[in-house]
Amino acid sequence: MDWLEQELKSALARKEPSPGFSARVSTAARRPRIVAWPRWMAAAAAVILIAGGAAGYRQYQGMVAKEKVMLAMRIASGKLNRIQEQVMQVSR
Amino acid sequence: MRRFTLVAVCATALYAQQFKFNLDHLAAKASDTVDLSLNGSTLQFAAKFFSGKDPDEAKVKKLISSIEGIYIKSFEFKKDGSWSPADLDSVRNQLRAPEWSRIVGVKGGEGAENAEVYLRNEKGKVTGVAILYSEPRELTVVNIMGPIDLEQLAALSGHFGVPKVKLPK
Amino acid sequence: MIAALRVEQTGCEFDELVREHQSMVFSLACHFLHDREAAEEVGQEVFMSLHRNLATIQSPAHAAFWLKKVAVQRSIDEARRRKRRPQVSLEQVAEPASSPAQGDPMLGETLRRLIATLPEAPRAVVILRYQEDLDPSEIAGILSMPVGTVKSHLQRSLTLLREKLIRRGVGEA
Repeated sequence: MDWLEQELKSALARKEPSPGFSARVSTAARRPRIVAWPRWMAAAAAVILIAGGAAGYRQYQGMVAKEKVMLAMRIASGKLNRIQEQVMQVSR
Repeated sequence: MRRFTLVAVCATALYAQQFKFNLDHLAAKASDTVDLSLNGSTLQFAAKFFSGKDPDEAKVKKLISSIEGIYIKSFEFKKDGSWSPADLDSVRNQLRAPEWSRIVGVKGGEGAENAEVYLRNEKGKVTGVAILYSEPRELTVVNIMGPIDLEQLAALSGHFGVPKVKLPK
Repeated sequence: MIAALRVEQTGCEFDELVREHQSMVFSLACHFLHDREAAEEVGQEVFMSLHRNLATIQSPAHAAFWLKKVAVQRSIDEARRRKRRPQVSLEQVAEPASSPAQGDPMLGETLRRLIATLPEAPRAVVILRYQEDLDPSEIAGILSMPVGTVKSHLQRSLTLLREKLIRRGVGEA
């Protein structure tokens, strides 16, 4: 290895990220994934709307409402889950 | 006429969350925002589309049948310092009203997670839950309205990610 | 109960992988983008992706390989998004403003800035070679590139860097 390669090894030595990086990553990973509109829903909605008319539209609205409720439950329950973990950690 | 007005005001109040979030100004700074307002009629409508045969969906269906509203605002940010403690103070001040009591408070300090859970009590019955959750790059406020059966909420443990919550006796 | 235990186990494995590889992932992104803040964002994205794909990781060696591959790819994506450095040919790489001496700590910063202005492929090759001490065949596997192309990028990049520095009175011909 010549002088330049030695200098490159030195210049490109690994660095540490800021303190708390791994903790932030672990926290973010535990966050419930907020799923954006599932693709199957978009496709199903199109079929229902085209084929079903008014009844189809009501069905579509119901699917939308159900998905919103599921999202709300995931967020609320996810937070309660995280809070419970924290409480258990503190009580140990 | 006066009675009609009074009923109308009460009916209106029932359709809104139990405290003002006052967090809309954070949406402009957030990289991701969730804003859910599900009032009683929306929840009743949605309940029809949950399967009674699927055990998990049946439990959720039963739970939301007694809930009068779910209101959630959740913001994610790219950088620390995008929200301030004052943003949550305006919510906390409202939760100092006598009908609210804090049952859980976890303080991780600056740069860590902080969380609080409040219950609303009226005439000896639970009529609401508030969850305040914050991290350096996230702020989430949840209000669940209604005569919530906390045992039913606990019974959702392990389903859809709902936690095992130990309820105060 | 079993599912809950498995989730906890996976959580511990993930945390361990983060602790073990955070420096490597962050450094790849930082040297590629020459921006610590951007590198932390990319690093977080890489680990979130790992978390989603944890079930596909077969061994510790596979995890390290996977992380290198995704870190480089995400860094390239970020660089294209930010367009902080225009893509130039090797011959047009800008010269550093100052003339640090060989062995001077400033030379390190000069080299890092020069490397950050290289086109994407040679940049990735140089960083993987000298940060991670990988040989051309390993780099070829990570970048899905023929070994000959890796060697060519490496040789041309070294030649150019050497010329730039020598012209400034640094190093030997």
